[in-house]
Amino acid sequence: MGACLRISLTISCLLLIWISASASIPSRESLGIAPQDLSYYKSDVIKCKDGSKKFTKEQLNDEFCDCPDGTDEPGTSACPQGKFYCPNVGHIPLTTFSSRVNDGICDCCDGSDEYNGNVSCPNTCWEAGKVAREKLQKKIATFQNGVTIRKQEVEKAKQAFAKDEAELSKLRSEEKILKELVQKLKEQKERIEKAEEEERKKREEEERRLKEAERKANESKNAPEESSHDITDQAPEKLSELHNQDAMEDHHDSAVEDKNDYTTGTEISDNQVANDHDDTIAKSGHEADGRSDGSSFSHVEKQHVVEAQDNAVSKANTDYPGTEEELSSHVAEQGQVSDSTEGLSREELGRLVASRWTRENAAEGNDEVNMAKEGLEHDEDIREENHDGYISDSDEDHKFEDDDLEDDQDAEFGEDHEEPTGAYSSDEDDKTDYSDLTVSGSSSWLDKIQQTVNNVLQAFNFFRRPVNISEAATVRKEYDDFSSELSKIQSRISRLNEKLKYDFGKDREFYSFYDRCFESKQNKYTYKVCPFKKASQVEGHSSTQLGHWDKFDESYRVMLFSNGDRCWNGPDRSLKVRLRCGLKNELVDIDEPSRCEYVAILSTPALCLEEKIKELQQKLEDMNTGQPSAHDEL
Amino acid sequence: MPSPADRSPPILLRVAVLFLLLSTASAWKKDEFRNCDQSPFCKRARGRKPHSIPSLSAADVSLSDGAVSARLLPSQPLRQNTAGDDPEADRDPSRILLLRLSVYQGGVLRLQIDEDPSAPRRRFQVPDVLLPDLDDHRLWLPRLSSPAAGSSSSFYLADGFEAVLIHDPFEIQVRRKGSAEPVLSLNSLGLFDFEQLMVKKNDGEDWEERFRGHTDTRPHGPQSISFDVSFHGADFVYGIPEHASSSLALRPTSGPDVEHSEPYRLFNLDVFEYLADSPFGLYGSIPFMLSHGARSSSGFFWLNAAEMQIDVLAPGWDDSASPAKGRIDTLWMSEAGVVDAFFFVGPDPKDVLRQYIGITGTPAMPQEFAVAYHQCRWNYRDEEDVAAVDAAFDEHDIPYDVLWLDIEHTDGKRYFTWDRVLFPNPKEMQGKLAAKGRHMVTIVDPHIKRDDSFYIYKEASEKGYYVKDAMGKDFDGWCWPGSSSYPDVLNPEIREWWAEKFSFQSYVGSTPSLYIWNDMNEPSVFNGPEITMPRDAIHYGDVEHREVHNAYGYYFHMATSNGLLKRGNGMDRPFVLSRAFFAGSQRYGTVWTGDNSANWDQLRASVPMILTLGLTGLSFSGADVGGFFGNPEPELLVRWYQLGAYYPFFRAHAHQDTKRREPWLFGEHNTALIREAVHVRYSLLPYYYTLFREASVSGIPVMRPLWLEFPADKETYNTGEAFMVGPSLLVQGIYEKRQKSVSVYLPMGQSWYNMRNGAAYTGGISHKLEVSEDSIPSFQKAGTIVPRKDRFRRSSTQMVNDPYTLVIALNGSLAAEGELYVDDGKSYDFEQGAYIHRRFIFADCKLTSIDVRPAKIGGKFSSDCVIERIILLGLPSGAKKAVIEPGNREADVELGPLTLRGGSSLVAVTVRKPNVRIADDWTLRIL
Repeated sequence: MGACLRISLTISCLLLIWISASASIPSRESLGIAPQDLSYYKSDVIKCKDGSKKFTKEQLNDEFCDCPDGTDEPGTSACPQGKFYCPNVGHIPLTTFSSRVNDGICDCCDGSDEYNGNVSCPNTCWEAGKVAREKLQKKIATFQNGVTIRKQEVEKAKQAFAKDEAELSKLRSEEKILKELVQKLKEQKERIEKAEEEERKKREEEERRLKEAERKANESKNAPEESSHDITDQAPEKLSELHNQDAMEDHHDSAVEDKNDYTTGTEISDNQVANDHDDTIAKSGHEADGRSDGSSFSHVEKQHVVEAQDNAVSKANTDYPGTEEELSSHVAEQGQVSDSTEGLSREELGRLVASRWTRENAAEGNDEVNMAKEGLEHDEDIREENHDGYISDSDEDHKFEDDDLEDDQDAEFGEDHEEPTGAYSSDEDDKTDYSDLTVSGSSSWLDKIQQTVNNVLQAFNFFRRPVNISEAATVRKEYDDFSSELSKIQSRISRLNEKLKYDFGKDREFYSFYDRCFESKQNKYTYKVCPFKKASQVEGHSSTQLGHWDKFDESYRVMLFSNGDRCWNGPDRSLKVRLRCGLKNELVDIDEPSRCEYVAILSTPALCLEEKIKELQQKLEDMNTGQPSAHDEL
Repeated sequence: MPSPADRSPPILLRVAVLFLLLSTASAWKKDEFRNCDQSPFCKRARGRKPHSIPSLSAADVSLSDGAVSARLLPSQPLRQNTAGDDPEADRDPSRILLLRLSVYQGGVLRLQIDEDPSAPRRRFQVPDVLLPDLDDHRLWLPRLSSPAAGSSSSFYLADGFEAVLIHDPFEIQVRRKGSAEPVLSLNSLGLFDFEQLMVKKNDGEDWEERFRGHTDTRPHGPQSISFDVSFHGADFVYGIPEHASSSLALRPTSGPDVEHSEPYRLFNLDVFEYLADSPFGLYGSIPFMLSHGARSSSGFFWLNAAEMQIDVLAPGWDDSASPAKGRIDTLWMSEAGVVDAFFFVGPDPKDVLRQYIGITGTPAMPQEFAVAYHQCRWNYRDEEDVAAVDAAFDEHDIPYDVLWLDIEHTDGKRYFTWDRVLFPNPKEMQGKLAAKGRHMVTIVDPHIKRDDSFYIYKEASEKGYYVKDAMGKDFDGWCWPGSSSYPDVLNPEIREWWAEKFSFQSYVGSTPSLYIWNDMNEPSVFNGPEITMPRDAIHYGDVEHREVHNAYGYYFHMATSNGLLKRGNGMDRPFVLSRAFFAGSQRYGTVWTGDNSANWDQLRASVPMILTLGLTGLSFSGADVGGFFGNPEPELLVRWYQLGAYYPFFRAHAHQDTKRREPWLFGEHNTALIREAVHVRYSLLPYYYTLFREASVSGIPVMRPLWLEFPADKETYNTGEAFMVGPSLLVQGIYEKRQKSVSVYLPMGQSWYNMRNGAAYTGGISHKLEVSEDSIPSFQKAGTIVPRKDRFRRSSTQMVNDPYTLVIALNGSLAAEGELYVDDGKSYDFEQGAYIHRRFIFADCKLTSIDVRPAKIGGKFSSDCVIERIILLGLPSGAKKAVIEPGNREADVELGPLTLRGGSSLVAVTVRKPNVRIADDWTLRIL
């Protein structure tokens, strides 16, 4: 105590702090050594932990590094690879690098790392510990609540999964029954049609006979007329089918033709490029062609790209100073081998050259074109994916009969939802759509329709002539209705199959994420993360794909989205979503640490794991155990 | 004009390659820059044959004012325009040129040739490059000797050397006294040509030049100068940066067996994605060439800031029947200016360097932190990013000293401002770094955004401080901020004004721990001819940009550096990194090799480039570690750190499109390798700082070609893969992916110790070594002592009080020597003698520390630092203890490791805790 007082007089700083600091500085023999390691240093001759050498007790913490691994200098800076332990009584003990010992910077809250007197480090462990304990307590509370929520979620997921599976199996059986019914109806319909046909023929025969009789009676000649009549009347459906096919082929042809035209057009414009460097519009057309080459872009999209760029370019030209789109086209030109810049204005030239280094401008310009394009092609995009049977060059205006199906698919992408909330279902339409199937989807429903169909089927009297027109119409309508129901069920089945094949976590804790998106607004961008689907960055009406669902990583602590939109001269965009325990599902942070590589944090109860609580509680306990003594001293 | 073959390939192909080009980053834009054939002065001069043009003779040779003066007249009446193929004969009859030869202390001959003062316009002489007190060192010539019937005049040049002016045709020679064989000569080949300024006689006369849509009005007509310089007894020539090359020696650009090549071009240019091997001009220019051969070294420097093209001619280039042996002819061509040339007699390579430094100045002594590791990226986005990167260095126990902010930190590329959203509290941010002993560097470029609300722009435009265009308006060029103007830093008044802008009051948000980076000062002008300023732009004093171009960046660097000096009241050594440079830039700060790329070839090229900069005065230089453009694979990045740790200037930098590449982003293993590489540099900081001191006194660079240390060893003359760090360490880079073994030539005369394991190697032969991933081969020369600090810290600042380790590599006679220089690391007190400078001598088993400060010097600097460890390599076993005098203290001697890293084996006799103070005299005897 005498020594303490002497020094405290000379330092004349806070006595209390000093005492607590001095109390926390152990003797040379134990300086910087963790309690669990103290026994290692008991003997008179100690081995370097790497086995390279032995040293005596005098050499322990004697400011000379004997063991390259740092065994002999836990309490000094002598060994570069050493570690220093500060007890930090009242807070969490800290093991730090020996490079921090006596470097003039207070690293340990108890100040034990700075003991050579060059700086005085006040003991802040109690304060810092208090803050840390509170934080830790909060964290534990979060985890505890989170675990409850998680349990509920897991339970819900379990039910939902079971429900989905049940639905699937039910749908499958419904599908089977419905298929049969539809088949029956179809047969019925065909029989009706056959009957009608026969009836019609009969009627015609009758008419003919009558006419014949009449003719005979009148002695007039009508035969050729009749035959032509015959042909026209025959199989009108078939004809219309034919017609449809023609129309489609027409579409196809014209598309192909357009494409050809377009290609030649491009070539022409390219020639122009070679001669006329001011022809930016032609060039952007060229660029579009180059970009879509080999990709899945349809002809229609190409035109959109051209248009978008045209607009951009003309805008840039009129709205001086030029915008970045203008640049991108120049840059594209730059990328091409032709490199003459003589036709450019001074400013254009400056921007062009600058863009080589930045690429940013050019990239953004390019992105904007992409986004514009995406906005335009938004719908086609989906169509294209889902109608493989159709020629992909199909015209934009081409309307498909089964609009329902299309809507469903739209809903799946969740693009049309402008939900203000952070998280929402991506599938709402979907649900309502199927409400008639799923909600009332009891066996009674099936019974009912089976009943209906049977009634219809039975009600129809085949032996009655003429065919009851309203009954026939009923059969047709029923057929149409049920086949449409069937296709709905089939699409639902395929969607459920699609969903159920994903990995939803150990406890299927991420099951509810399938139908949800999470949003976060950062400056001008809104980020949308739809697990198992995709992630995007939205600015106004344009959207950039940050990535498509890839997988979970780091044992369900990270969600990966990859293969997003291409970056100018960079990688395809990608997003890494780090998950952490929180009471709500919330996208709390999103960042782009490397160009086009995004990182986000999503807080979710799914990450509130029970086993982690014990760990945290242990940590808190450790912090608390040191506390009373330090506190008592004060 | 590009030839038809250079035009685009067929359209479809272009479409197909577009993606490729976009994704792999298009390369160097060759067509954007002039080649020799597109520059009339170069094409004309290069096409000449020896003695094919009318020669000039020296008349009225006399001594005046202690120097030789003469008039240059046509040797014979001008030939009539006999053949139409010689347009040059069509010129005005030449007016008389004035020649002056003067001699400076230490073996320097100066040749000046200019037009008669009666000429219509004075030609430009580059100001403020030669040391202001140069004339104090001029020798007063007492007499001229004219031996052979007045056909020549000779005079004293240096001990053992004389200069000779041969009268007709005129020729300058530097000779060893009493030898007819010259060391250096000018116009021996009769290629001297001097186009005199003209005045337009009528409007029909058109001197305009066009290049890619840019027109150069050339109002004073062609005004080029060209001549030949021969280096006699030379095996190789070196120097004339900046060019990227895998070869340290300058390869011939013309002559038999030389593929078609451009001359070496000296024209400061901002070249996008430059090639790793090309004579093409880059960011800086130093028209200084050195030669070296078995017999001697010499040098030639032409002080001229206009575009220069230099041919190195292979023997037989002139179709002569007997090609000259042991002589290298060179052809120097410049677009404008005067002849103001310096001949350096050597004879040792270090003499040549000292002679050059003697006229252009010694390198500035850097602050200690600047010698440590720098972390840069375009761009650390915001204060949060800065804090995170700073914290991560600590978390991974990797030291660094300086964090850099590129252009994005500014408010719209208005330098001296901060982006208010991203960097709202710049002082606080710098304060946080400073609390850990770290510094910050921000970028300040010469292009000033043309925006009246920007105070710098407004002030300069009101004062008329900008370079003017050919029409006399403020020059308007495009750069990062868009439309920009450029301060006319040729004018000393404007430099003063610029310097004021760095005061803490003026540069809001700056603190004393903030230093500066000058980029784009070639100057880069995105919409200018060759991405620079038009040659007919007008500077202060009606100087055309063509005349001053290569020195623009130099004056800007100078003004910035003086700004920091003023800011610190002359007490704080400036740190300014510049991309453009000129002869003399060493006085103002640091340079780097610009926007290199992340590939192995550029890693390799970095060494000859930095060595060449060192040979031409710029000792403090480096290359972007990792490569600026592109993403280095982890192995390349690690190898780059391992090599970069030995660059004099050690900075990692990356383009904004590249992936993040801070050292901890490539897995634990690579992080450990990079940490180790950075640690190597930090432990060698005392040695490096001592070498910087040496450079600042003598101009001998920190990083040296082998031949500078081993001038007699022919094997070393063209080594560009290995280099010396100071006199003691030899380092060999690893330039190939997954390289398993490497052949290293260790110069003769000494043996060498592997710095990793202490193994000894014989000198004078190539050793095939296994390559390990954890380090690149490095050796300590026997007979040297290297001071180290083996304790690692967060930054160099915390190492100040740490103890030293001495590594003594003994030679065959068990002797070694080395030095240690220490000062306060930041101020100029060392100029008053406030430093510690020790020489350690080991001989007869006794280590002695000797004060080598000049006896009479005042000033005081002390340090309580001690030496905690002495490692002796090559000492026969049997040492038991060490006895220290004064005090007769004993210290233990034992076997210890060479480096303090896990798994090191015990290989060297180690004195444990001698704890002798570095400030004191002492001896330590090994018993």
